[in-house]
Amino acid sequence: MNERLLLGRSIETGSWVHKLDARSKILAMLLYLVVILLADSWWAMAGLAVFSAAVLASTKVPLKYYIKAAKPLRYLMLFIFVVQALTIKEGEPLFSIGSFALHEGGLSLAAFSVIRMFLLITFTALLTFTTRPAKLNQGLEGVLSPLKKLGLSPERITLMISIALRFIPTILDESQIIMKAQASRGADLKELPLKEKMRMLVSLLVPVISSAFRRAQDLVYSMEARGFRMDAPRTKYHRPAWGAADTAFILMFVIMGVAVVVL
Amino acid sequence: MKNIHTEGAAEAAPAVITLDRVSFGYDPEHPILHDLSLSISGGQWVSIVGSNGCGKSTLVKLLNALLPKSDGEITVCGHRLEEESIQDIRQCIGMVFQNPDNQFIGATVEEDIVFGLEGLCLPYAEMEERLQAISVKLGIDHLLSKHPGELSGGQKQRVAIASILAMRPGIVIFDEASSMLDEGSRNELMEILQGMRAEGNYTILMITHDADEILASDRVLALHGGGLAADVTPAELFRDEELLRKCHLREPYPWQLARELQQLGIPVEVPADEKELIDRLWPSNYSK
Repeated sequence: MNERLLLGRSIETGSWVHKLDARSKILAMLLYLVVILLADSWWAMAGLAVFSAAVLASTKVPLKYYIKAAKPLRYLMLFIFVVQALTIKEGEPLFSIGSFALHEGGLSLAAFSVIRMFLLITFTALLTFTTRPAKLNQGLEGVLSPLKKLGLSPERITLMISIALRFIPTILDESQIIMKAQASRGADLKELPLKEKMRMLVSLLVPVISSAFRRAQDLVYSMEARGFRMDAPRTKYHRPAWGAADTAFILMFVIMGVAVVVL
Repeated sequence: MKNIHTEGAAEAAPAVITLDRVSFGYDPEHPILHDLSLSISGGQWVSIVGSNGCGKSTLVKLLNALLPKSDGEITVCGHRLEEESIQDIRQCIGMVFQNPDNQFIGATVEEDIVFGLEGLCLPYAEMEERLQAISVKLGIDHLLSKHPGELSGGQKQRVAIASILAMRPGIVIFDEASSMLDEGSRNELMEILQGMRAEGNYTILMITHDADEILASDRVLALHGGGLAADVTPAELFRDEELLRKCHLREPYPWQLARELQQLGIPVEVPADEKELIDRLWPSNYSK
């Protein structure tokens, strides 16, 4: 299960990135997203890659974990690469087979998309690897606090996210069990033609959803029994503290952004 | 049928839970609980038994207003149950449910324990102190950073109990808390319960089908057909075959054995547990 849901699990190494305020890491991630989109030359990409590798290394989390986090999306990345490489017709044509032609511009743009995607995934993984879920939630609550002016409650949003994250593994495990139960009665998904497969999926969804509702009911009882009320005042066990390191961390990304634009 | 029994020690203690003609039902024609009156004194360990669907779970959920009573009066720790007093009453009652997975609120053990404490608006130092104290006491201090997926069922149930006890309720309700556990975890749960009784700070209500758990308690409330079928001691319950059948219960093993021996003409008194039975049986080898 740990393998399957690497995203959303924190890995404690005690590095300086772990000790940062979750808010600064979330803001840094947004900045990083902008920087990635701004980078459009090979030099900028190379600089960004070196910078990212340095930040990843400084978390002391083994690099293989980051690669593992990106691995489930390798086919999507390949697909994006092929589609972009074949459809964008910019720059010198390199070679062509029939109606398909590979252009220099297309190739580099396709490569950029894949690199951007890879960098973004590993960096999202950095956020979750170095931040415990409770702190991440609290950071999110802090970042979302301007929403209060719009009448939305950041606490509700983060509560929803944290409960969803908490129950995803449980519900996945349960669907596995139901699938095995169906297979043991002769309805094995793998053996069926596509149309039947779809029908079977529906018969999988019904028990999974009904049990999710039962779990939700139990969870509500449990929360209410512990005195939980929506929007009631609560104290916080994890207190965020914005320090000089956080400001420095953000500045690093701003400088990187400027550098990327210049390069 | 009604046979109000109170243990000698608990007799003097004031009632912490009182129900006066309480009813509950979605359909008034077929109420799940009807006209139920009872009182439980502080420090008692009460087993609630009955067949499936007889309203045991409903009864305990009425106490802290997880379900709304349709009629009657409920008083818990001096608070009359009303809309305004719900929060006060919920602070007095801790509840451990059946499924250890579905009552795990936090993403880690630590978060799950502090969830309730945050709701009590405790200052950080107090939360930290209670977290440390309870996790050491229940032997889960090495699990604090673990996710629920990394824990066994017994460990999860231990965390659930820790989360409840950290809030320091006077009344702790176990709603079939052991029914999804294996034998080893069940015994561990019993040890925790015995420890809680020894401390003397808790009133324990336990919904159970397990003969050993019933035998360990002070008093048994048997529900049947929406009402109270019996209010007896565990010994009285296990002597009453008709009542056992009504509640779909089985005698504890030593009791069964003693009964069969009696039928064979061997004079054995009904023992409290397995050890007592053995102690009574071995001298008979010599007397022959």
